Amino acid sequence: MTAGERRRRAVWQILLFAAGLLVLTVISAGSVYLVNKARQDSKWVVHTLEVENQINALLLEIRRAESSARGFLLTQGTDFKADHDKAVAAIIPALDRATRLIGDNPAQRDNIEKLSAAIEIRLGQFAQEMDFVRQGQPDKAAALVREAASANTTAVISTVAGAMIQEEERLFRLRSENADHSQTLAASMTGIGSGLVVVLALISIWLVRRSTRARDEAETRLRDSNLNLETTIDERTADLREANDEIQRFAYIVSHDLRSPLVNIMGFTSELEELGKDIFRRIGGLTGVPAGGPPVDVADIALDGPDKQLSEDFSEALGFIKSSIGRMDRLISAILNLTREGRREFQPEKIQTRDFIEAIVSSLAHQAAEAQAEIHIEPLPEIVSDRLALEQIFSNLIDNAIKYLKSGVPGEIRIRGRTKLGYAIFEISDNGRGIDARDHQRIFDLFRRAGTQDKPGQGIGLAHVRALVRRLGGTMSVSSELNAGSTFTITLPIAWKVSNRKPDK
Amino acid sequence: MTLPVSIIMIEDDDGHARLIERNIRRSGVNNEIISFSNGTDAMKHLFGPDGSGLVQKGNALLILLDLNLPDMTGIDILRQIKENKYLKASPVVVLTTTDDSQEIKRCYELGCNVYITKPVNYENFANAIRQLGLFFSVIQVPPAAP
Repeated sequence: MTAGERRRRAVWQILLFAAGLLVLTVISAGSVYLVNKARQDSKWVVHTLEVENQINALLLEIRRAESSARGFLLTQGTDFKADHDKAVAAIIPALDRATRLIGDNPAQRDNIEKLSAAIEIRLGQFAQEMDFVRQGQPDKAAALVREAASANTTAVISTVAGAMIQEEERLFRLRSENADHSQTLAASMTGIGSGLVVVLALISIWLVRRSTRARDEAETRLRDSNLNLETTIDERTADLREANDEIQRFAYIVSHDLRSPLVNIMGFTSELEELGKDIFRRIGGLTGVPAGGPPVDVADIALDGPDKQLSEDFSEALGFIKSSIGRMDRLISAILNLTREGRREFQPEKIQTRDFIEAIVSSLAHQAAEAQAEIHIEPLPEIVSDRLALEQIFSNLIDNAIKYLKSGVPGEIRIRGRTKLGYAIFEISDNGRGIDARDHQRIFDLFRRAGTQDKPGQGIGLAHVRALVRRLGGTMSVSSELNAGSTFTITLPIAWKVSNRKPDK
Repeated sequence: MTLPVSIIMIEDDDGHARLIERNIRRSGVNNEIISFSNGTDAMKHLFGPDGSGLVQKGNALLILLDLNLPDMTGIDILRQIKENKYLKASPVVVLTTTDDSQEIKRCYELGCNVYITKPVNYENFANAIRQLGLFFSVIQVPPAAP
């Protein structure tokens, strides 16, 4: 999966989460609001019912007062009187309660004013009726009742009260509707919100599952490629080893087979030399040396001018051939030794490097004294490595340092060591003749040398040293300037293990 | 009665064979030298047509053996000689260009009597051959087992 895809997926997840959160918040806020509203609406519904109830109670009291007044008028019974008084006493508080309750509605306020005016008139009539009855004038009281009926006070009361009740009923319907509406809204809101949350959750689950699957696939691919990589590395390593072994075998066979003809060349050259001696002895005998006498060296045979020249030329030619053969033999031996070294198995062991270097230095003490060189060994880290290989490495380098000092300048050779990240770093520096920068690579090549060729050597040492250092899992470099000394740096693993090389067959 | 020792030289390189022969002669050894330039002929001569080695019974032999032969390795010849009851008492001198310590060790384990590395240095080579010749002229090669 690409980085862009991954980023897009992450953005999607965050968006989904945010959307889910938003929906939940809206649902919660909306629910709280709507529930509150529904409660409010219900309160108003209850309030309306209460008002209606109160108005009915008021009307009931007025009817009671009226009917008991009529009863009293007809019978003059004290029972009716008491009843009437009780009803009249209840009317005013009932009216007050109704007035308080409908305080919020201006239309009802007008009605109640009308109603209370009508009630006051009626109450006044009641009081007069009672007075007339008490004074023993029931006719007057009856006339008053009739008057009240004709003046329509009672009708006014009924009408106004009816209007009020109607108004309250209208309000009741309205408020009931409102309450219903709020509840429906709350329910649908909760339903839709829950649905949305469920949908979002489903999408989330789907996304998570998809990314899990993608991750699993990636893991599988990674594992596969790791396996492939290991196999590839193993194959390549095996190939390289095979190639290396082949080169070793090749070098071994070539150098070995080259020796065979060389034996002949050297042997028959010596035969020729012997023959030459015989020939020139015979020539000498012909020209004066007594034949059959004790054998004499060719050089001792007195020869005349041209014969002497001939003999010298012959010896010179043979000398060149023999020295070249000697050189070739040494080169072939060197290659043989190198291949043999390449086949040797290393034995890692703990090496007290300082004592070890001191031993090498003391074995080179004679050369050092001859070259007037002083060798300083600084504290060196201990390492685990192959003793013989290390000995060849250090003795070659120290020997080189002694060998290539500046003539006439007392030599100073310094061997330093330190450790870094599991590697030991050794430096062998001298104040010798140095190496030109363009020869820094060349000196590590087989049979190549640099600088003034005034010392014997085959150009093998450094090539050999570098091959050994590499086999020990290390690296080697040189820093030097002409006439300013050289420093060879060797980096070796502190603990070399056999396991990083397949045992030689 | 002692039979004169025959020197069997198995050497594929004619030049080497000539040099060895010359230097053996120069050191004063006049024994018969029979040379073979490949392993098959030498084996035929040593072990006879039936391959039992009976033909050499009672003969005093000294074998000069090169390890690098075109048709077989000298090591095989050495092993067979040392396993044959008629030939195993004959001294074998391995003469080769190899100075590999493993190979030298192996030859001695198989019963070679002397191992000489062919040196390119002619003087050393001649000396070695002469000393070998002196050694041979003194030694009595024991009669082969009946």
